[in-house]
Amino acid sequence: MIRSLLLTCAMAVPAMAETPLPFKLGGAFELTNQFGETRTEADPDGNPQLLFFGYVNCQEICSAVFPMLGQVVDTLEEKGIDVTPVLITVDPKRDTVDTMEEPLAVHHPDFVGLTGSAEALQVAYDAYSIETEEVFYDPEFGPVLAHGSFVYLLDAEGKFLTLVPPIVSPEQAAGIVEKYVGETS
Amino acid sequence: MIFRSALAAWVAAIGFAAPAQAAEGERVQITGEIIDTWCYFSGVMGFTDSVTGSAHHTCALWCSAGGIPVGLLGEDGEVYMVLKIEGDDQSASGDTQLKLASHEIVADGMLYKRDGLNYLVVEAVVEDRGITNLNHEDFGVVPPFAIPNPDK
Repeated sequence: MIRSLLLTCAMAVPAMAETPLPFKLGGAFELTNQFGETRTEADPDGNPQLLFFGYVNCQEICSAVFPMLGQVVDTLEEKGIDVTPVLITVDPKRDTVDTMEEPLAVHHPDFVGLTGSAEALQVAYDAYSIETEEVFYDPEFGPVLAHGSFVYLLDAEGKFLTLVPPIVSPEQAAGIVEKYVGETS
Repeated sequence: MIFRSALAAWVAAIGFAAPAQAAEGERVQITGEIIDTWCYFSGVMGFTDSVTGSAHHTCALWCSAGGIPVGLLGEDGEVYMVLKIEGDDQSASGDTQLKLASHEIVADGMLYKRDGLNYLVVEAVVEDRGITNLNHEDFGVVPPFAIPNPDK
C-alpha cells in the first residue's frame, strides 16, 4: 500500500524547469568494461544510464546503491524503459576485467562495470568531481575507500541529466528517471 | 555493518516535496539539524524522532563515514540534501560533515530544487550550536549496535 502510494506520488511529478546545479557535471571518458571491451560515456545499446562511482567490494554506501540500481532498472523495464546501470570503479587494483562480472551480475544482469588505468579513470573522476582516498582498513574486507555517493542519470550519449540521491526509494528514483527519459525520448 | 543490517529491511519512506519551478538557486538561511539521511528516510533504524539527535549520533557518524550524504532537517520540517559544506567539497564523510553530525546549525547558502528534492550548498555555517537534541535520554543509543561491543 505504502509503496503503491509513493509510486503514484512519484509518477505525478510533472515535467518542469529545474534549478540548474551550481557546478558542471559530466564529460567524456574511455574505460574498459568487465568483458574487456572499450566503453565510453555513450551507451552502446542506446539506453539512458544510471552512473555510480564506487567499488565492487564496498560494504558501505555501495551495498545500498547496487541493489537499489537493480530495482530501479527492473521497475523501469516493467514500464518499457530500458536503462543501463553503470559502475565506474574507484578501486582499480581489485576491480578488474577478471573480477567485476560476477558480483555485479548479482545485482542486475545488465550491470556494466568499468575500470581502467589510473589516468583514464581520473578523466572520469574529474568529469564528476569524484575524490577518492583510503579512509581505513577493514580486517575482513580490506581497504575502505571514500568516493562520491550520488547516482548520476545520463542520456544514451552520456550527457548528464540529473542527480539521484542514494537514499531515495527505488520507486522514487525510477520516477525521477522516467520524467527525464520521457522528456528526452 | 550497519548498512548490511539495514539493506534487507529498506522500504520506501520518502515522499516528494511540492515541486518548485525556480530558474536558479535561491539564497537561504536555514536553521536545523545535520542528519543521517539514510536512517531518517529508510525507517529501518527507528521512527524519525529516534534517528536524530544524540540518540543517533554514533550511527550518523558511521553512515556519513560510509558515504551517506548528510541532510539538514530544517525547522520547517523539510530535509535539505547537503551537496557541500563550506570548503568541504563532498556530501558525506568529510571532516566538516563528521564534525557537524547531529549538530544544530544555522546554515547560509544556496538552495536548488530539482525533481521535487531540496539540494543545499552551505557556503557558511553561521552558527554551530552543537548537539541540542538530547533525545538519548528518551531513546538510548539508536540503534544499540551502533556502538560496537568489544566483548563480543
